[in-house]
Amino acid sequence: MEDSDSLIAFREEVKAWLRASCPLSQRRPIVQKEQIWAGRQRHFHSEDARRWFEAARDRGFTAPEWPVRYGGAGLSVTEASILREEMQALGCRPPLYDQGLWMLGPALLVFGTEAQKQQHLPAICRGEIRWAQGYSEPNAGSDLANLQMKAEDDGDFFRVHGSKIWTTKADEADWIFCLVRTDDSGPKQQGISFLLVDLATPGVSVSPIPLISGESDFCQTFFDDVLVPKANLVGELNGGWAVAKEVLRHERQLMSSFESMAEKPKVNVVELATQHIKRQGDGAISNLDIRVCLARHLMRDRAVKQLGARIEQQGRARCGDPRLPLLMKYLSTREIQQKNEIKLKILGYRGLSLSAPDDPESCDSIVKQWAFDKALTIAGGTSEIQLNIIAKRGLGLPLGSSSE
Amino acid sequence: MILNSEQESFRASVSSFLAAKLPISALRALGDKPVATAYDRDLWGELAVLGASSITVPAASGGAEFGWLALGAVAQEVGRRLSPTPLLSSVVLAQGALIQCASPEQVARYLPALLNGDEVWAVAFEEQTHFSPDCLQTAMTPLGLCGSKGMVLDGAAADRLLVTALDGSGQWGLLLVDPDTPGITLRASRLMDGRQYVAFEFSEVSELACEWVAGPAAKGAWARVLNQAMAVLAAEMLGSARELCERTIEYLKEREQFDVKIGSFQALQHRAAHMYSELELSQAAVDAALIAFDTQGSDQCAMASAAKALANECFQLISDEAVQMHGGMGVTDALDIGLFLKRSRVCNQLLGDTHWHHLRYADRSGF
Repeated sequence: MEDSDSLIAFREEVKAWLRASCPLSQRRPIVQKEQIWAGRQRHFHSEDARRWFEAARDRGFTAPEWPVRYGGAGLSVTEASILREEMQALGCRPPLYDQGLWMLGPALLVFGTEAQKQQHLPAICRGEIRWAQGYSEPNAGSDLANLQMKAEDDGDFFRVHGSKIWTTKADEADWIFCLVRTDDSGPKQQGISFLLVDLATPGVSVSPIPLISGESDFCQTFFDDVLVPKANLVGELNGGWAVAKEVLRHERQLMSSFESMAEKPKVNVVELATQHIKRQGDGAISNLDIRVCLARHLMRDRAVKQLGARIEQQGRARCGDPRLPLLMKYLSTREIQQKNEIKLKILGYRGLSLSAPDDPESCDSIVKQWAFDKALTIAGGTSEIQLNIIAKRGLGLPLGSSSE
Repeated sequence: MILNSEQESFRASVSSFLAAKLPISALRALGDKPVATAYDRDLWGELAVLGASSITVPAASGGAEFGWLALGAVAQEVGRRLSPTPLLSSVVLAQGALIQCASPEQVARYLPALLNGDEVWAVAFEEQTHFSPDCLQTAMTPLGLCGSKGMVLDGAAADRLLVTALDGSGQWGLLLVDPDTPGITLRASRLMDGRQYVAFEFSEVSELACEWVAGPAAKGAWARVLNQAMAVLAAEMLGSARELCERTIEYLKEREQFDVKIGSFQALQHRAAHMYSELELSQAAVDAALIAFDTQGSDQCAMASAAKALANECFQLISDEAVQMHGGMGVTDALDIGLFLKRSRVCNQLLGDTHWHHLRYADRSGF
């Protein structure tokens, strides 16, 4: 679709601004330890990183589509996708990483009170507070509505006890948005509320969980008689499920775009194949199984991106097929895992060690990624839950014994 | 895919024509006719007048210039009904080869009759048991044209035949010949998809009866025609797969066993959701290839291969699942499901099976 004159002007202006504001070092592929995470413990890996973050923050480009009064840039959907395109074209790194930015903020814009928006959204845009997500519990994973962490009425406060699991980087976060049980008399989805909790409140403790990748990106977070002001309730009392679904929608979009946010591998899978596998005279790699698997993966990976582009294009033309976004998480996470499996096949004996996972030059970092990405088809709604949703909401198949 | 309003109203008019005149029953009826009949010539004439023969043809040459995405949309409508038409054989392959490989004089001479539906052509290019565009033994010898070709789509219904052949100096070329010329014999078969495929023998066919329309310089243009045919066939296959997916999901919502709709069973829901995901994934690849033709994008070989490979796997998956989910009824000829299943396997072989496309994609990607 052709841009209108005003959009052409916007594109030109944004391009010039990015060239002027984004230092060259911030246009190289992102590496994990240089990501700029929000929070009270925020730190910048370099002066360039600080300059890029501050420029983006001051322009409202950490949250381009949020209203200006809350710290965003007030861009339309089309303008925001132009900004994304131009950032991609230049290779600009994301100026800020935070779950508040990706998940809580969009939900607050819909469900938050004016006071909550004023308190939290500008702090999110400015990267001052790092948010964690408190949804899953040890006995509430896919069956999220079964959550048991209680928030009991205590005058101006809720008294919270229980625990949350898979809270990403809760040990580095400042606040957490939680689903809590405020009523257990009726159907389980109806007694849930959405609550914001300052992790510095007495009674909160955080314990990292060692993963198969050797990392501890996830924590279990314990709440022992924690007092939370009632002003921190988002949405209606017992109406938290609606807020949660809004957050989840953003989380799934995020996970399907996970790759663009993530550290770019030093070596892409094609280079890995051509470097590690003997090649024939015509340049073809000699392992036919890997050659075919890799071709198939690349075709499908490209199709996932083409489908994403189609969804975006339909959205711009306001003729979106509402079923298509439901497919993205299921399709894209599978393809990422497929790529990791092919990398392991390529590496052979060299792809079996996790002893030097943080050395980006080592094969071990590829193995670490393989192990870590096993979570992609589990977190944010398992692939099976995605298939339930596609079947019921997308295809209109009748409700069975299972539920979303 | 997003069509503009002109393209969309064109698609809709072809769609209602096909629904009225060429529904699946037309394919069944074709099976009762002599094998020489490949499709209904009169209905094709009407479709040509509607514009189906000139979708991608430039306005300067008398075409509608709707582009490849619109042609893909029409192919999908054809696929939904398994309508027997010469869209692939005569329009995309033969007419495409004429326009892209032949001289302007030849185009001016032959194109009008193709556009208005007075003539239909076919292209003979296959010589092996699998798609092998680089294998060419048919040759113009001092005694005339000699060789054999197989799997010529709608070949016995064609008024003229384009044939890939080596010229006197062993170079690639494309020639035009009247199929009634002495020295040409043919054997037409109706394969399991109900469509006509023809084997030709050329035995010392006089060069005087042949007209060269392209030489080695046009070999790349012919490769482009094949890419276009792959993507259009892939679009048609996805039209079939989409129809089948919809029919199967409707069936899951109707059929009761154990006192409930079988569509309430999670095992079937997940398989249905997987089918649908694969369908939309493949559609994205096919649309991207068609758009690459419209925008003269780079990498058309790889895009066409991705489109065909994904369409092969998708149509195979959905046709298998459709039969299985329809249970016993799925293997009866009373339902149309089996027609789609058989079509899927024929399409798998046409213009390259999945493995062929994987290897070409690897080749184009430098590994």
